[in-house]
Amino acid sequence: MNELFRRLRYLLHRRRFDRELANDLDFHREMAERAGIPLGNALQLREQARDAWGWTWIDRFAQDLRYAARMLRKSPGFTLIAVLMLAIGIGVNVAVFGFFDLMVLRPLHVRDPATLLRFHRRSSRNYAFALPYPEMAFFRAHSRTLSAVLALNTTKVAVEGEEKQIDANFVTANFFSDLGATPRLGRLLDPARDDTPGAAPVVVLDRGFWQRHFGADPLVIGRIIRLNGKPATVIGVAGGEFSGLSLNQSAFWVSLIQQPYFATGSHVLTDFADNSVRMWGRLQPGFTPKAAEEELRSLAAELHNRHPAEIWEKENLPSDPGGYAKSMMIGNRSGTESESQNELYPVAALVATLGLLILAVACGNLGSMLLARGVAREREIAIRVAVGAGKGRLIRQLFTESLLLALLGSMAGLAVGWAVLRSLMLFTGSPAWLDATPDWRVALFALGAGFASAILFGLTPATQAARQHHRATIARQVLVGAQVAASCVLLIVAGLLGRALNHALSSSLGFAYQQIISIDPGLGQHGYSPARAQAYMDTLQGRLRALPGVESVSLAQSPPLGRRSEIAGVDIDGRSMRVQINRVDPQFFRTMTIPLLRGRNLIRGETRAAVVGESFARAAWPGEDPLGKKSFVGEDDTVVGVVGTARLVKIEDSDSVEIYLPLAQADLPGASVLVKTSGAPEDVARFAAATAKAVDPNTFPEVQLMKTGFRQKLRGGESSAMAVSVLGAIADLLACLGIVGMVAYAVSQRTREIGIRMALGARPAHILAIVLRQFSRPVPAGLLLGVGGAAALSGLLRGQLYGISNLDPAAYLAAIGVFAVTVVGAALWPARRALRVDPMRALRHE
Amino acid sequence: MPKAEMPSGALVLLILRVLRSGALHGYAIAQRIHVLSSEVLHVEEGSLYPALQKILLKGWVTAEWGISETNRKVRFYRLTPAGRRQLEAELSEYDRVNGAIQSVLRTA
Repeated sequence: MNELFRRLRYLLHRRRFDRELANDLDFHREMAERAGIPLGNALQLREQARDAWGWTWIDRFAQDLRYAARMLRKSPGFTLIAVLMLAIGIGVNVAVFGFFDLMVLRPLHVRDPATLLRFHRRSSRNYAFALPYPEMAFFRAHSRTLSAVLALNTTKVAVEGEEKQIDANFVTANFFSDLGATPRLGRLLDPARDDTPGAAPVVVLDRGFWQRHFGADPLVIGRIIRLNGKPATVIGVAGGEFSGLSLNQSAFWVSLIQQPYFATGSHVLTDFADNSVRMWGRLQPGFTPKAAEEELRSLAAELHNRHPAEIWEKENLPSDPGGYAKSMMIGNRSGTESESQNELYPVAALVATLGLLILAVACGNLGSMLLARGVAREREIAIRVAVGAGKGRLIRQLFTESLLLALLGSMAGLAVGWAVLRSLMLFTGSPAWLDATPDWRVALFALGAGFASAILFGLTPATQAARQHHRATIARQVLVGAQVAASCVLLIVAGLLGRALNHALSSSLGFAYQQIISIDPGLGQHGYSPARAQAYMDTLQGRLRALPGVESVSLAQSPPLGRRSEIAGVDIDGRSMRVQINRVDPQFFRTMTIPLLRGRNLIRGETRAAVVGESFARAAWPGEDPLGKKSFVGEDDTVVGVVGTARLVKIEDSDSVEIYLPLAQADLPGASVLVKTSGAPEDVARFAAATAKAVDPNTFPEVQLMKTGFRQKLRGGESSAMAVSVLGAIADLLACLGIVGMVAYAVSQRTREIGIRMALGARPAHILAIVLRQFSRPVPAGLLLGVGGAAALSGLLRGQLYGISNLDPAAYLAAIGVFAVTVVGAALWPARRALRVDPMRALRHE
Repeated sequence: MPKAEMPSGALVLLILRVLRSGALHGYAIAQRIHVLSSEVLHVEEGSLYPALQKILLKGWVTAEWGISETNRKVRFYRLTPAGRRQLEAELSEYDRVNGAIQSVLRTA
């Protein structure tokens, strides 16, 4: 330890120590001269002595760095292209990592994020990511391991001055204070003032909503706004960095205990069957998340005795760290059997792989450039070797140049990545508190990516050049092959996504959506009983049928192309399937134009019967008659009919299968009305809204054209196809640039040889073959590798391709075609120069 | 007289040994070894100064400013307690190895 300390002290006082050593040597020299003894080279002596301290590498490195900087400044064109290539390669990855960082690694802007836990419900048969309010309240009252419990419920409300209904966040009054939020204006919800049902109704605005809706008016405090027609006073505006623990664009927050005031008749606060609030807990100091889970499990068991139907048997409440954006991505899902896998992981893996491929292409390209440059610097290196530079020293010096390039590339990549991520976030309308500015993790990642690429693109050329091994053909061919393979993968994936999108736009989903309107009256939110809901629905359906232009009306639990869905994971003979459940009335298939293929339709009022989609029947009972079979789903209802396959919810996933169960009276408070029009649906939609409102003025029905829902569903697919196409084009361009450079280099190196061959009567085809022969192996090999890689990788995409195969030959052929044309162009363009070589001039040259 | 080559490990031992009786500057160390070895051993400055730097790094000696016999400011190297311990250890190790070599030479 002492030795290290002395070594460091030496580093800090290097100049003084060096002076003292020089003085010692001078004195020695004086004395030696007196004695008549000759002395060696003083400078060399000093350097040898200094070596003992082990810091010489710093001096050498500084020297190399200065030299590298000078070399890069001397060829600004090369430097610019190299840094640009690296900036693209690293930037794409920085954007991907930056998003990962935002979601998973960076703690939220809340007080003490480490002790915040998000809870969900789990039993052997069921799972839900939200809890009933009274269950949450029971935990809040009895937990000793949690110092605070926070809850959030989102309900759509009508806001004056806004065309569409808006998600209102109903939160417990401690929501702001416990998260340590500060107001931008006015005050936030206060547990001391706003936590009673009878307190004056107040609203806290989101900063973005305040700017949009109120033009950032500072005098908004004290204004009355009407939510669902009920007046409430604006008391404050939350700060722009406040996440509200939700990824949705928030508009405003209201006290959860007042939810029934705004949604007339709502039973949210008392209904044990309604999984309506997300719950977070704040760990009491000294307790672990495990201890909290244990305690909540025993509390749930106690509650199960009192409410055996609603609180599940052996229910436990697993927790996730709540201080990260990732915990918000699970949303509000619930279902039976095994929890559905998170579908984001395969997509994330795919995106990360594509990003790395771009970097690989950039590195391969830069490697080829450096190899060619190494040959051009042959003379310089030969001189260095002649004056005594060792191989190791030369490699180190050449590699330092690559490191410097990588450092510049990392910095530029950081900027590119920030710009990409920021514009993507603006484009997709992500919430304002998500801050794309890189933090230290992203900066470190950019530096690491730069260093790794320096090793990839710099080490081989440096070694080759230092060995003065000029025929670096194998290395170069490997680099070309790798570039071809990586660009191919990118182009094929882009082709697949493009094809899939085209397919989605042109092909049938198995049902007609163009002329459908869906109306969600939100009866459950207003506390409708099933019997009242029945009466409401009968009245509404009757009045809608009487409207001109209405062809057919039906009811469904989950309107197609909507946000709601019910999924069951089913195991059939060891294969797990994800079944989309919809509860519908008999008119549903006629309204949605889904053909009945076998058996019969559902009958109104019947139970324990099911109609399955054809793909379900094929998957569950291959080669057998599905009629009369037990359906695996729900109460194992009997299959009475088979209808055509219709991808109602996940239009991008051809593997999803559907089952239709009869809509029971108990389901009616959550049901929507579907209307098929004979003409343009827009006209009917206007009447429909008024008609629904007239049945019960207390409700706020939401009317949506189904084609709007379809377009929204496609938007995600469009942007990913666009993004991958851009990546593919960049990779292709980079690969072409590399090939142009290599062909041009080959032509310039072999001008003499070409001249001689021409003089001897070689034909143009022959000359071209000489120049292009170097690609005869790497390009086909790279193509093969790329196609294989794309086939393997695109398996991850299966669920996103709107029903086309991930091995779709058209997409593969189109991608290979595009690649072949661009590469041949890139190779032939510089090769023309070989044909224009004048034999006389070429021979006279040198 | 031909100059004898110095085994590299031995130089450190000799430097520590000649410093035991008091602080010396670099040239004096070389001279002392030269004289005490009856002018057989000649310490090249090319090995003396790297060895001295290494000993400084190990903390076996410290350097302090003093005035030479020619009235010039120069650094004197002084043995530290750690250096003294190192010298004792190296001496006994040297004795052990030397004895072993001697016994091989006598009996083989």
